[in-house]
Amino acid sequence: MKLIHKAALATALATLFASAPALAGDPIRTIDLFTRPQAAQPQEFQSVQLIAQEWRKLGLDVNVRVMPWEQMADIVWYQRDKWDVTAWQMVGRPERSDPDEIVYNLFHSSTAEKGYNFIGYSNPEFDAVAEAQRVEIDEAKRKQLVYKAQEILAADQPNMMLVHPKSTFAYDKTVWKPDSVVNQSGIGIRNTWTFMSLEPLGDQRDIIVNSGDNVQAVNPLYISGGVDSWVTELLYDRLARVGPDGLPKPWAAESYEWKDDKTIEVKLRAGMTWHDGKPVTVEDVKFSFDAVVSGEAPMYKPFATNVAGIDIVDDRTLVFHLNNPAASFVTSSLAKINLIPKHVWEPVLEDLKTKEENAESYQEDTPIGSGPFRFERWLTNEEIVLSANKDHFNAPKADRWILRIVPNVEAALGMLRSGEINFIGEFSGDPQVLIDAAEADGDLNVVSTVDIGFRYLAFNERRAPFNDAAFRRALSAAVDRRLIVKAAFKGFAEASNSVVSPALEFWHDAAVVENFKAGQDVAKKILEDAGYTLEGDRLHYPGDQKEEYAQ
Amino acid sequence: MFQLKAAVGRILQLGLVLWAVVTILFLMFRLMPGNPMAAYIDPTFTEEQQLALMAQFGLDKPLWEQYFIYLANLVQGELGQSFRYREPVAERILALLPNTLILTFTSLIIAYVFGVLAGAYLAWRRGSAVEQAAIPVVLTTRAMPEFWLGMVLLAIFSFWLGWFPAGGTRSAGTDHGNLLGLYTSADFLSHLALPALTLAIYSQGLPLLLMRSNMLDVMKEDFVTMARIKGLSNWTVVVRHAARNALLPVMTSFAIAVGYQLQGNVVVESVFSWPGLGRELVNAVSASDYPLAQGAFLMIAIVVILMNLIADLLYALLDPRVTHV
Repeated sequence: MKLIHKAALATALATLFASAPALAGDPIRTIDLFTRPQAAQPQEFQSVQLIAQEWRKLGLDVNVRVMPWEQMADIVWYQRDKWDVTAWQMVGRPERSDPDEIVYNLFHSSTAEKGYNFIGYSNPEFDAVAEAQRVEIDEAKRKQLVYKAQEILAADQPNMMLVHPKSTFAYDKTVWKPDSVVNQSGIGIRNTWTFMSLEPLGDQRDIIVNSGDNVQAVNPLYISGGVDSWVTELLYDRLARVGPDGLPKPWAAESYEWKDDKTIEVKLRAGMTWHDGKPVTVEDVKFSFDAVVSGEAPMYKPFATNVAGIDIVDDRTLVFHLNNPAASFVTSSLAKINLIPKHVWEPVLEDLKTKEENAESYQEDTPIGSGPFRFERWLTNEEIVLSANKDHFNAPKADRWILRIVPNVEAALGMLRSGEINFIGEFSGDPQVLIDAAEADGDLNVVSTVDIGFRYLAFNERRAPFNDAAFRRALSAAVDRRLIVKAAFKGFAEASNSVVSPALEFWHDAAVVENFKAGQDVAKKILEDAGYTLEGDRLHYPGDQKEEYAQ
Repeated sequence: MFQLKAAVGRILQLGLVLWAVVTILFLMFRLMPGNPMAAYIDPTFTEEQQLALMAQFGLDKPLWEQYFIYLANLVQGELGQSFRYREPVAERILALLPNTLILTFTSLIIAYVFGVLAGAYLAWRRGSAVEQAAIPVVLTTRAMPEFWLGMVLLAIFSFWLGWFPAGGTRSAGTDHGNLLGLYTSADFLSHLALPALTLAIYSQGLPLLLMRSNMLDVMKEDFVTMARIKGLSNWTVVVRHAARNALLPVMTSFAIAVGYQLQGNVVVESVFSWPGLGRELVNAVSASDYPLAQGAFLMIAIVVILMNLIADLLYALLDPRVTHV
């Protein structure tokens, strides 16, 4: 009797195991994929639609959720465990010509809780590399570290890199001498260098440039909107500027020299004056850096906190002492902090100390800098007028620089053709339209440049299955980036697999992009190897893993 | 005595309406999805900065406390500071309001003068071929979306013919001194032409059709028949007797249209890069700039309420039969 029982039990168990699939987990929940609306971000929206399609072929259920930036950012940033995947973008700025800001702030585990590592990526090996490249002053060694960081990211795929878009701008070549236009690596032709060197060919000597966004503030102690920085970069000098090749070069500083890995000596250029005629002194320079960390300028503060102290050696020489060695110091601090006149700002900051507001809310009637252009006037939401500072050591060749606020992108193009503006500073429409218009017109030059910035999908590493690098690799591999470049960006982009843009030639590790294999077969193979299974049409977790985030 | 009581009641009523508007505005923007901090998200955005911003914007306090602070400030005429521009809301609104008002009034005056005349004329020529051709045209212009109409005018008169500039209130870099100098300059008027025309074409349908149907009603009334019997000329009958009476509802609609138009400007201000309140409002709402959005909406609400009041008073003045009991 007993024996028969046992045998029956054994057969029953055997059939049970045989009929059940070998070690299958729960089906993976419906994945939410965030994107901004088509009207606001057509390329992002298009990319997301293509990606969702490819992921569905892997057996995933994908729900594309469209929402405006403010709402999307609110969830991604302030409810960090409440989302799965989101489209995101990083814009190119001159200071990002040094890879440190991107490599460290986006991926170091210390910024996961409240900083820009909102994806919750944590890899001790990566942390070590990111920290090491920060303090490595030797460029060749640092380059190896930055390469290493790119390789780790390529293997881990914490983000799914999509493309580096191309920035496309245009100008009237009958007004401006084409040779005088400077194409800044990773930024494009709309940059400070161009505005200083544009050479008029005829009677029109005013640079008239458009922007779709309003100017929020013209304030050397407040990092506000992107357009605002076009203005502040022209009004204020910095000790260094990021050059057309993406590398920093001395500017208001005649030279700088590392004395050791925590000490840098800066020699101020002689004969500079503020727009009110007073001379620029080493006291002003020291004051500018002190003002940033005074507590009155929280946005700029991170760029100067590494400065332990500044010694004034003589009336042209200063020595900066740093808390820690910082390879990116020249780009991210000397080329970032605006020089401001002590005689203007000292009383203002004193007064602000007694008030609730800080310097970010303080708008001067006439901002005083020492830069290549002087402030003339500002009409709310309509235009800003600057005039050339002929006393500057790199005086502009044009007479005035006028920024016109034009929210209607078609009107901006019409204005370029009619001469109401003569330089497209921002074109949010299809770049092909700009090129076609230039062909029809004959007077226009259009220039596209690969950007430092990039578009990507961010995976929330806090939530399974995105905590599994293999899963992320598979999702990333499922989409051929050439499809995104062609279909969503109409060719105005370059396929990417690295946060360091190919525009930054020195730092960009081309191998991680070349070695990236994409395709449905590659993706399916990775999933299979990692133990994910297809039951019917639905992808399941490996092993006995349960779905913890189902709604 | 009776009049005074009515006036006091009316003012109290206004206060109540304003309070309700203010409260709804306050709650509406805070309940909308989105976050004013989103504009600051950046790789170098630290926790310290986030806390400082929250405190600066007053968003670290509980909602009810924010509400009472807001009310207390409003009573003192203080609209607060814009999150996005870090400058007093009142200053921004005052800088933009004149541009919006001049566009609104110019276009409405054109629309109403044309609408009233054309409406009276069409009523007079009731049943004629002119009327039969004109009515569909009027209905079509009323149905055209403003942005489309604006783009068409822009394409024809600016890009193709080059008669008018494509945007702004003045040519790049020109200085006209003060507002009066600006508004009386040829430069300004040429910039005003297309946006005002767009709005005028869009708005003329209402006064035209209203005037026409009123005229048709009035013409049937006894006093008009009486006038005709007296042997007065057709012109005198239509203009002095019928039109004057038919004008009353049109006047009311003008006052109300001013309020509506302030919102309708949003689209036209964007198409023609016009630096007005409408564009500002849209930007403020999408950036969750609560103080600025509240301030701009409140300003529009006040104009609407005031224009309604004026319409009521005007009515009583033009037609003594209407009284407020």
